[in-house]
Amino acid sequence: MALIELRDVTKAYRRDAIEIPVLDRVSITVDEGDFLGLMGPSGSGKSTLLNLLAGIDRPSRGSVRVADTEISSLGERALAAWRARHIGFIFQLYNLIPVLTALENVELPLLLTNLSKTQRREHVMTALNIVGLGERAQHYPRQLSGGQEQRVAIARAIVTDPTLLLADEPTGDLDAKSAGEVLTLLQRLNQEFKKTIVMVTHDPHAAERASHLLHLEKGTLVEQQAASRA
Amino acid sequence: MKYLNLVLKSARRSRRRTALTVLSVAIAVFLFASLQAVLDGFDAVAAASSSTRVVTIRSTSMIFPMPMGHVDTIRSTPGVQEATWANWFGGIYKDPKNFFGQFAIDPESYLRMYPEVILSPDEKKSFVEDRTGCIVGDGLAKKYGWALGDRIVLQPGIPVYGSQDFAFTIRGIYKAGSSAVDNQSMMFHWKYADERSEQKGLVGWIVAQVADPDRAAQVALDIDRRFANSPYETKTDTEKAFSASFGKMLGNLNLLIGSVALAVVITTLFVAGNTMAMAVRERTTEIAVMRTLGFPGATIFALVVGEGLVVAVLGGILGSALARLVINAEYLGLAGGFIPAFGVGNRNVVIGLGLSALIGILAALLPAIMASRLKVVDALRRVA
Repeated sequence: MALIELRDVTKAYRRDAIEIPVLDRVSITVDEGDFLGLMGPSGSGKSTLLNLLAGIDRPSRGSVRVADTEISSLGERALAAWRARHIGFIFQLYNLIPVLTALENVELPLLLTNLSKTQRREHVMTALNIVGLGERAQHYPRQLSGGQEQRVAIARAIVTDPTLLLADEPTGDLDAKSAGEVLTLLQRLNQEFKKTIVMVTHDPHAAERASHLLHLEKGTLVEQQAASRA
Repeated sequence: MKYLNLVLKSARRSRRRTALTVLSVAIAVFLFASLQAVLDGFDAVAAASSSTRVVTIRSTSMIFPMPMGHVDTIRSTPGVQEATWANWFGGIYKDPKNFFGQFAIDPESYLRMYPEVILSPDEKKSFVEDRTGCIVGDGLAKKYGWALGDRIVLQPGIPVYGSQDFAFTIRGIYKAGSSAVDNQSMMFHWKYADERSEQKGLVGWIVAQVADPDRAAQVALDIDRRFANSPYETKTDTEKAFSASFGKMLGNLNLLIGSVALAVVITTLFVAGNTMAMAVRERTTEIAVMRTLGFPGATIFALVVGEGLVVAVLGGILGSALARLVINAEYLGLAGGFIPAFGVGNRNVVIGLGLSALIGILAALLPAIMASRLKVVDALRRVA
């Protein structure tokens, strides 16, 4: 069953009077439970595609349908609510809030729900235990290693049990060991918890963990293949 | 409430900057509450002043005295029931900085016309009967630790009273029944001062009791008319107008103090606004992340305004509390005589807190709008 359907999506940025094309009539379908890897050189449009799927950017033309919602037609407020409900986003640089503990960082998306404080804390501890950082709940980001920070960021992304996990170069700032741990975690979320994941990466080792791979070049899909499981 | 922790932690991010902003708001609120209290003091005196008493001074200035004979002339003016008089003494108690109002009065008529000066019958009797006796306000007595029967020695501050010290015995400690009378003054027998004065039979001002308050203005005109074209022309006003005009002698206080307060508040607004703008600019990525997590623009707006509010109100509480503690007549010992007893009251505190909240909201408004309208993709691309 298709969770994501992109139809003829074109995206161009305007810088002064010049229009810079980023994506050109891209059409993708991602089924529920897939782990899609998006590869391509810098400037190929990978991150733009991810941003469109996350609803933090809008296509110039075409249709972006995620979880039965045409998100390109949603207003800002509705789109924010939709993101809170359906999207878990993992950034390359973790982007944790430095003045909040791991627990408070993971709790952030839950502040938008009607859960009580106790319920929120229960959800947070579940997410932190899944990423193996339950005992680091009271630690601040500066007290964690890069790999641990990224795992906290993953906990933040999954704490609301979103429909779709989007990861933008999740191992791009990590050493090989930490990168391996993060990728194993993402794979586990996909296989054990049936999370649909779209991951942008430069790293062929990371791409190997995906169940499908798409290659983008100069804004167009050039290749599609099934990745071999590690 | 669930966002309070987030707001507080954001405010504490740069502790030094937050502390300085809190301090600047505290100073602004302290000054505003204090200056407002001064204005309120003058207003309170004017409001509490009797509308049945009229005050006569020399038309040139109240610092010039007039002959004692004016009292009888005023008493005989139609509509006047009674009259009393007083002089400013200006003595020095141990040190010139121990300033308080000292008035030479005619005890019997003065106390009759000023029931706001509250004394026990015994105190009143012993004061009236003792030519060198005096009465002091309970605030003044508390300040200097005086009790009934104590001896006070004043050194004359005005040359006309010579150079010999004046000794007094405290015969009464009065309470002020209204703001028209302050509790930081001393009163003694006019005769005692007059007998040693180089210019005898002169009075500083005369207070007349009029029978009908509706006719007070007319009686005042009649009094002045009786002294017209004499060497000692007078200017008579109701006590209320007299109190107000005394304030005006110091200049247009409302405008002056209001301008100072406004300048302080506006400067603080810019300081706090700049701080909030810096705080938000430094957090562009975090705000973009929060928007990505699904935080709507309105919530981001509320969080930034909330942070501004918390910081400013904290400053407001500090400034108001300090003003409440420090700015009171007894603590400062400023009041006495013509300076009204003023102090930062609950009303000033509430206004100060309201003002700090307003500063917080206004200072955060522009940064909050910018944060709520942040383009998420652009902000994230900046750090990618």
